[in-house]
Amino acid sequence: MQNSIHLKIADFSIKLYSDISIELEEGYLPFVSEDEKGVDDVTIHCFSGIPAIDLQKAELVFEAKNEIQKFYSIFRSDTGLGFIIYNQQTKDEVQQIAFLDETFSQWEVYSNPSSESSRLPLKYPLGPIVMHYLTVKSNSVMIHASCVFDGKTGRIFTGFSGNGKSTISKLWADAGNRIINDDRIIIRKIEDNYMAFNTPMYYIDKPKSTVLNAIFLISHSPENKMKKISGALAVSKVMAFCIQNNFESKLIQNHLDFLSELCIHIPVYELGFVPDASVVNFILANETGRTK
Amino acid sequence: MDLQKLYALKSKFVVRVVGNELILVPLTGNVAQMNELFTMNETGKFIWENLGEKTTIENLETLVTEAFDVDADTAKKDIENFIKKLETIL
Repeated sequence: MQNSIHLKIADFSIKLYSDISIELEEGYLPFVSEDEKGVDDVTIHCFSGIPAIDLQKAELVFEAKNEIQKFYSIFRSDTGLGFIIYNQQTKDEVQQIAFLDETFSQWEVYSNPSSESSRLPLKYPLGPIVMHYLTVKSNSVMIHASCVFDGKTGRIFTGFSGNGKSTISKLWADAGNRIINDDRIIIRKIEDNYMAFNTPMYYIDKPKSTVLNAIFLISHSPENKMKKISGALAVSKVMAFCIQNNFESKLIQNHLDFLSELCIHIPVYELGFVPDASVVNFILANETGRTK
Repeated sequence: MDLQKLYALKSKFVVRVVGNELILVPLTGNVAQMNELFTMNETGKFIWENLGEKTTIENLETLVTEAFDVDADTAKKDIENFIKKLETIL
């Protein structure tokens, strides 16, 4: 019997199918949805066992790696993209091989039977990769950012790792506001509004969203200071913190188009902040031109 | 770096015009380079758009002088700055 799981992430419909029993890591569980109306945005067919396909002979177009280990490699073929996903616990061991069709709508995911991913097909890093390619085809972006909602206004705080994304969201939470997420956000345009959605993390948190009213590029500073920026500078600075695989012109152009529109409608500020409660009132006192 | 080499590298970028400015995003096969985005002001945008296969520095100086109503020295400096900026990208 075929198993299936339906997820709703950032209002996208994601359907997983498998001939074997599959599960989700706990962070995904609150995103399981019974509402299966409408067309799925992406389907993921999961298999146990890695087929004898030599992707190394295809064109290598992108590698996500650091000095220590590889995360994934992307190959281009006539029918779409091929991914080699590496196990993050056991360096360089292939965790999964995955194929994404050229419409970015159908995945085939083959997991190493000895890997935990055989039971948990969205095991990191495949889950975020699936979400990223969903945003690429859907006029939206995924960004490294925290996001808070004060009951009327949604604010995103983005910056380099260590610049205080979690710190500032906690300061807003301490002031009575709601954290949407403190690490990874999907931004979509829905009707006339830009919306910010949380995504599944390694911990349990229910699906949340807010209308987006302002974006802050944050850094630590000896004093609170903020400056509104616009035009190419704003677009390029926001884009720098978006999750992207820049090997194909079309994908980059989609991101640039979306972000150029976003930065016309949503004010972008550079914010240097002191990591204490004063930054909340400082922002409230100094925001200008915020979208209603 | 000569202009022909710069022209040959134009296809390695995706560009977007925002107002009078330009954003350049390099095509890259490496996740470590994906945050390297660049912007060009109005003059830089103009030079980028007029950088052709057979363009010379002298051609560009004339074009910049005419388009922005500046003297030859200013045009030359703008072009040098443009080339310096691209060299930091490449």
